[in-house]
Amino acid sequence: MQLIDKLSILADAAKYDASCASSAAPKRSSEGKSGIGSSNGMGICHSYTPDGRCVSLLKVLLTNFCLYDCQYCVNRRSSDVPRARFSPEEVVTLTLDFYRRNCVSGLFLSSGIIRSADYTMEQLVRVAKLLREEHEFRGYIHLKTIPEADPALIEEAGRYADRLSVNIELPTQIGLQTLAPEKEMGSIKQAMQTIYTGQQTVLNEPRAARFTPAGQSTQMIVGADATDDSTLLHTAESLYGDFRLKRVYYSAFSPIPNSPKSVPLAAPPLLREHRLYQADFLLRSYGYKANELLSGPGDLALDIDPKLAWALEHRDAFPLDLNRAEPAMIARIPGIGIRTTQRLVELRRQRRIRYEDLTRLRCVLAKAKPFIITSDYHPRQAESTSVLLREQLRDRPQPQQMALWA
Amino acid sequence: MIILDCDDLFDTWRQQARWLLSHQINPDQVSWSVREDADLFSSDAHYPENLGPFQARVPLELLTLLQNAAQYCGEQRWSLLYEVLWRVSHGDRTAMLAGDKLGSELHRRLKQVSREAHHLHAFLRFIALPVDPAPKDLTVKAALLDMQTLPEYVAWHEPAHDILRTASEHFVGRLGRHRWMIATPKDAVFYDGQQLIHKRQCPDAWASLARNADDPHGELWLTYYSHIFNPARLNPKVMQGHLPTRFWKNLPEGPLIPALISEARTGKQRDGQARQIAERRGKVIRG
Repeated sequence: MQLIDKLSILADAAKYDASCASSAAPKRSSEGKSGIGSSNGMGICHSYTPDGRCVSLLKVLLTNFCLYDCQYCVNRRSSDVPRARFSPEEVVTLTLDFYRRNCVSGLFLSSGIIRSADYTMEQLVRVAKLLREEHEFRGYIHLKTIPEADPALIEEAGRYADRLSVNIELPTQIGLQTLAPEKEMGSIKQAMQTIYTGQQTVLNEPRAARFTPAGQSTQMIVGADATDDSTLLHTAESLYGDFRLKRVYYSAFSPIPNSPKSVPLAAPPLLREHRLYQADFLLRSYGYKANELLSGPGDLALDIDPKLAWALEHRDAFPLDLNRAEPAMIARIPGIGIRTTQRLVELRRQRRIRYEDLTRLRCVLAKAKPFIITSDYHPRQAESTSVLLREQLRDRPQPQQMALWA
Repeated sequence: MIILDCDDLFDTWRQQARWLLSHQINPDQVSWSVREDADLFSSDAHYPENLGPFQARVPLELLTLLQNAAQYCGEQRWSLLYEVLWRVSHGDRTAMLAGDKLGSELHRRLKQVSREAHHLHAFLRFIALPVDPAPKDLTVKAALLDMQTLPEYVAWHEPAHDILRTASEHFVGRLGRHRWMIATPKDAVFYDGQQLIHKRQCPDAWASLARNADDPHGELWLTYYSHIFNPARLNPKVMQGHLPTRFWKNLPEGPLIPALISEARTGKQRDGQARQIAERRGKVIRG
């Protein structure tokens, strides 16, 4: 099979993984050196596909032959898809070619399980090793980790890769049993622990070789089974806490060809995925707790964002006087982000904040208005009930084009 | 009215601004323009060439902000900077802040400039020039291009602001000792493996070398691009927000986009698989 045919099959097989980030890598440069590649912590999206997703890395599977039969996966052994396998050298060639063209900032390599977990992991590590050692490649490398692989192999991977990820896919043991019978929550968390331990070992050792400097991440599928958002967010929160994950990715389940009856054959729940990312961002950057966003079982609202939802439930904390309030509370006002909060704090050191300042700072005023006080503004809507406010502020669904043959 | 021309160079502008400030000349009494326009207005005030008595003190960070914002191409490119400088040097630091009316325009420009630098890092595409076997020909070719050696990689890019000189340093770290050249409608840079050479006016020969480079192995990237796209998640609006259409024409994948969108709309939104893969014979694995 020609390289280009393999590429088409193995890229098509890799598109269901949401992550394509090349950020958080340490500063590396090839200036005046042999080899190529650099990284500076900032990710670069070299292109965007018409699904609006960023193309930052060459994201392929080493092979889509697979012994597992995960129901949600297009590459499961019972799936009738064309199969292919790259040699490690072929992946290296493609990575370097795309990198020199400035089409990508590195490689994200994953694989179906062939022969054994150890054998598969060895192959993945071999690609990273070839790139780093033979070709002195200093770009970004993200390797998918096979949970059942020998911890020694995972440790080796962590020395070559900027990022390792172990996909949890389904956050409950029952979900895994039903849809991914070969997988086990225990070994998934064990692999995360191995990576976490590797990171801790080099933490205060400036001379130690780097270990996954861009951290570890995972992915959860949204909508393949009945798991609710509350379970997803609480799982994410404990993964951020237990293993210091850099990112949890949420992947709206995308219907697959020859779909088995066990998973839905429906359009991917993109809005739900979007709300989960918003909520996840509130966990990571704003200091919200999962319990504040969803205290009991259930899903996030689709018609309003989670920050607005929280504010509507905590009207006693508002309206906030922007000239006095704590920065952490300002950041909790709907329509005002962290950057704007910093700018407001800078500004109020110089003079009193007025309403028109918010326009200039490009706040989403429609959302912020009922929750703020400035030196020249007091909200009339402060008296409105949350029900009424929600009705005014919710996103209206986009009118949908009817399908011709629905 | 004083009309000045700084030839779009920050250092020249800085000297001029320093002089203006020292003579306490108000921002509304001065404007910057290219020389041809300068005749339209004539200055009736005469000022001495040497510096005036006013000694301005400004924070160092303001200088960095002004220098970066100076890369912005657009109306009032230089006068806005002088207005900010004027206000800050007269004790009004809000002019530097995004919450201020003037400051918000300054910060908008800064954002545009850094976004455009990022666009260069992201959307520029290098093409490898064919390796010529005869070293003698190479020297001749290089001489024709006014270079010591030929670049190995060339790129054509159309930035909206004057970011090339500073933003292209990124590629020095990225490509190591390789030699590369970036041509734009305005300026150009050439990295000869050791130093970065900037030409304010891109030589025609460089532009044509970059624009007409043959790319016999371009197919792999196009294949990758088409297959990593998930038609079940079609969302062209988000895509255009991140990848403005003005870049499409210089991206090899640009011409593929309309067809991928329309194919996804007309039916392929059922699942994520590309049509070409669905048409191939599959293989179930039996253990």
